[in-house]
Amino acid sequence: MTTELTFEPKIVAFVCNWCTYAGADLTGTSRIAYASNVRIMRFPCTGRIDYNLVLKALEQGADGILISGCHPNDCHYSTGNFHARRRWVVFRHMMEYMGFDLRRVKFAWVSAAEGAKWAEVVNTTVREIRELGPATEYTELHRKGVA
Amino acid sequence: MSALQVQAGELLASGKAEVVIGYGEGTRGRVRPVFVRTRADVSLLVFDGRCTANLTVYLAKPEVGRMGKAAIVATPGAVRSLIQLIAEHQVDPGEVVVLAADDDAVTLLTDPAALEAYAAAHPVTIPPEAKAVTESLARMSAQERRAFWDAELSRCFKCYACRSACALCYCTRCITDMNQPQWVCVAPHALGVMEWHLNRAMHMAGRCVQCGSCTSACPAGIPIGLLAMEASRSVEKEFGAQAGLRCDAPPALSSFAADDRESFIL
Amino acid sequence: MCSDPGQNMIKSAIKEKNLTGVVVAACSPRMHEPTFRRACAEAGLNPFLCEMANLREQCSWVHPRTDATTEKAIDIVSMLVAKVKRNAPLFPIKVPVTRTALVIGGGIAGIQSALDIANAGRQVVLVEREPSIGGHMSQLSETFPTLDCSQCILTPRMVEVAQHPNITLHTYAEVESLSGFIGNFTARIRKKARSIDERSCTGCGECVTACPIKKIPSEFNAGLGLRSAIYVPFPQAVPNKPVIDRGRCTYFQKGKCRFCETKCPAKAIRFDQQDEILDIAVGAVVVSTGFTVVETSFFPEYGYGLYKDVITGLQFERLLSASGPTLGEVRRPSDGKTPKNVVFLACAGSRDPAKGIEYCSKICCMYTAKHAMLYRHKVPDGDATVFYMDIRAAGKGYDEFVRRAIEDDEVRYIRGRVSRVFERQGKLVVKGADTLLGGQQVEIEADLVVLASAAVANPGAEELAQRLHVSYDGHSFFSEAHPKLRPVETNSAGIFLAGACQAPKDIPESVGQASAAASKVVGLFSCEELTREPVIAVVNRTAPPAYSTCAGCFMCRSACPFNAIESEEIKGRDGQILKTLARVNPGLCQGCGTCVAFCRSKAIDLQGFTHEQMYAQVMDLFA
Repeated sequence: MTTELTFEPKIVAFVCNWCTYAGADLTGTSRIAYASNVRIMRFPCTGRIDYNLVLKALEQGADGILISGCHPNDCHYSTGNFHARRRWVVFRHMMEYMGFDLRRVKFAWVSAAEGAKWAEVVNTTVREIRELGPATEYTELHRKGVA
Repeated sequence: MSALQVQAGELLASGKAEVVIGYGEGTRGRVRPVFVRTRADVSLLVFDGRCTANLTVYLAKPEVGRMGKAAIVATPGAVRSLIQLIAEHQVDPGEVVVLAADDDAVTLLTDPAALEAYAAAHPVTIPPEAKAVTESLARMSAQERRAFWDAELSRCFKCYACRSACALCYCTRCITDMNQPQWVCVAPHALGVMEWHLNRAMHMAGRCVQCGSCTSACPAGIPIGLLAMEASRSVEKEFGAQAGLRCDAPPALSSFAADDRESFIL
Repeated sequence: MCSDPGQNMIKSAIKEKNLTGVVVAACSPRMHEPTFRRACAEAGLNPFLCEMANLREQCSWVHPRTDATTEKAIDIVSMLVAKVKRNAPLFPIKVPVTRTALVIGGGIAGIQSALDIANAGRQVVLVEREPSIGGHMSQLSETFPTLDCSQCILTPRMVEVAQHPNITLHTYAEVESLSGFIGNFTARIRKKARSIDERSCTGCGECVTACPIKKIPSEFNAGLGLRSAIYVPFPQAVPNKPVIDRGRCTYFQKGKCRFCETKCPAKAIRFDQQDEILDIAVGAVVVSTGFTVVETSFFPEYGYGLYKDVITGLQFERLLSASGPTLGEVRRPSDGKTPKNVVFLACAGSRDPAKGIEYCSKICCMYTAKHAMLYRHKVPDGDATVFYMDIRAAGKGYDEFVRRAIEDDEVRYIRGRVSRVFERQGKLVVKGADTLLGGQQVEIEADLVVLASAAVANPGAEELAQRLHVSYDGHSFFSEAHPKLRPVETNSAGIFLAGACQAPKDIPESVGQASAAASKVVGLFSCEELTREPVIAVVNRTAPPAYSTCAGCFMCRSACPFNAIESEEIKGRDGQILKTLARVNPGLCQGCGTCVAFCRSKAIDLQGFTHEQMYAQVMDLFA
């Protein structure tokens, strides 16, 4: 028996209620298995997802973040996802400018009908983050901070 | 009397302004803000190369508001921030006149159209040292950028001079002062500092008019304005909206276009 | 858990242990959240203190039985426990409802909506821009696929509107502005000066006969007939009261004439009448402002506007109509002769991306078949030719109708697009390609060419949409809230759509949608108060002198898809404005929370998904 530990990343998913959360429910009702590394947080809309929560999750030890909602023009509230998308463009730019690894923060549009896509998005994210290894950029800051 | 003093005197005499907010001689060869309320005091006003602080920071303050209709001595950057303050409903354009000053002349601006024309004629100027840092950052890898900001920000001790110097940091309660939840760690350690500056940059997205006040105000000499400027420039580049040019501009960040870039979304 | 015994377990636990919050670790909240919240409410616990941890769809059904899965399940439950600790009791929001509906536009859609709402016992204010209600349907000759006479089926409805005790009709009037929100709108209506005292006018028509200015192209007859300066648009107009076209009236233009006044037995002419402004409180709005067809300048290649005998389908309707300028005889505009060769061009402008109209106007295939058929009935020795791209005849009895035109009435259908209409030796020539014969060039001499011109949004549709705060598409048609599931609602709660202002529609579709809109209105009016979910955004309030941490930048306003952000002035004792802040209108907010994520000072929060609740979940996950 091997005692070697493979790295299991912890990923937080911020999803909207109407598309991606429903899509993830469909993955379940379709019994499509996927990696269990993801913890889903339900928001009414991608428009509600605050980048500060993403930042907090990373600081607290999340190895990856997945943000997902309705495809353009499918938003339950008609334009919440458009607003979110614009904010993410700037947020990503600032993360990049400050030198953070953007590969740890993923974005997707997963509709209520895309149960299979949800499984695939999660699996891809988990695989990629596993390759990147544990996130240290933020936890390092945290460690320096506490010390 | 300088042209500025003459014009300020006329505004006070005619009642077009009850207070002139300008620069006056301070200590040790520095300038400081002065609030001139009588014609006799206009001789206190100076304007020269030392006058770079953005005085519009005072306009949104209630105690200044109570002084009555204001005239403000404004650099081109301050004119832009005034326009932005008007667009954000923080200043009533009817309550302020502007003595726009640059190296050559003093121009009286009394309405939004005049402000906009002045701003259009005086494009943003980036100081050479800021340009140099921006260029070297562009050449860096992500890890090098991380190290650069880690090193720069390690000098920040959270005095919040950047916030105080910024005309657009007018929040009634700043995010960094909240503790339920505690969005930004209080301590000036690596994490707390990064959180603060990233938040400030995000809050300036589509709003920063690149006046440079925050950088000048930083006692630790951190090129802190680069972050806010970068956020604003990213909005300009991606969505074509530049802050501080139109008094009726909608908020650039909380608007959208159906074809905004989304190549990063799976 | 969702069975009765399961629910009873929760209920008794709430009572026995005095619970202040419940997390049900079971299936998806999208499945049974209402069930469990109801159970909590029945046990006396505020339903919003109940959350669900999704262990089935998002955990046990997708992961194998391993320790990692168990860990995830624990995390899910723990996160929701962290959240529920910060849940606050919420109470449904009650909004009073003014049970009067405003219907804008008195075409068939508006008429149907108004009648349905009025017949359900609610008050209706119907506003029509033109001097008479009736809309485009009143201009039509006969209707497909049954060939009933349009006016015969429409005019009784028009009269019913005029006589209905629950309907207040304002013709020659427009909606200037609409403020307020669902249940509580105020509509400002401008009643344009008709220059007639409607109460004393008997509609005898003496004034019309007396008017010396008689050569004005009649709008009702699509320019093919003439009217006077004081006029009734058409004989069956409702109300049957004339209006003075001030732009054309000699008295208004030159200060002399007043012949109508001298002839009026009722002394009803009012030259000094002013526009009247009415502010009306309404609880719901039905927008049914219809459509129009593309302008003359749209078809230089078809010679429309250049050749008198190239006309639109709407003009051909007037030529076919018994009440039209030719009393129903098909006579062409240029010389009044009966055309022996009529060529119909379907898709004139429609489905033509080069012209900027990519969509199908939907009604043309059917009315072109009808036109050709009616022409063949009226001129049995005449030839009718139709150029078409595809025949779109989906609808009850529609395809049969087209087949009848082709097979029984011998209308010649040529599949192909017409490139040009030109004149050769005094005759119109229609040049096109027959794509079923391999693109063979076809030239047909025609005495009359009828264009099935594209249906487009009314001029001014965008402006009206802005006044009403409803969204519109790239072609200025008004947008429904959801293309499939909310086809009659707009994104502004309480404002509904009916008829061709949303997209081109035929009569049965317009009527169907109008009744659907009416049923939405009647549903809304079924209670004196509207109950809304309390999951809405709220701007915080704090002690003076700040009053709120909102600084009034209104970044939230442009973020809100529902126009729910208003401004609120905090005033001192002397009435001086101390601060202007944002306020969320609970009647309009739908709870998306987009405003929340934009607020820099976090002064706005979303009930049910507050900053503290969401933050606690993140922190718990890594605790």
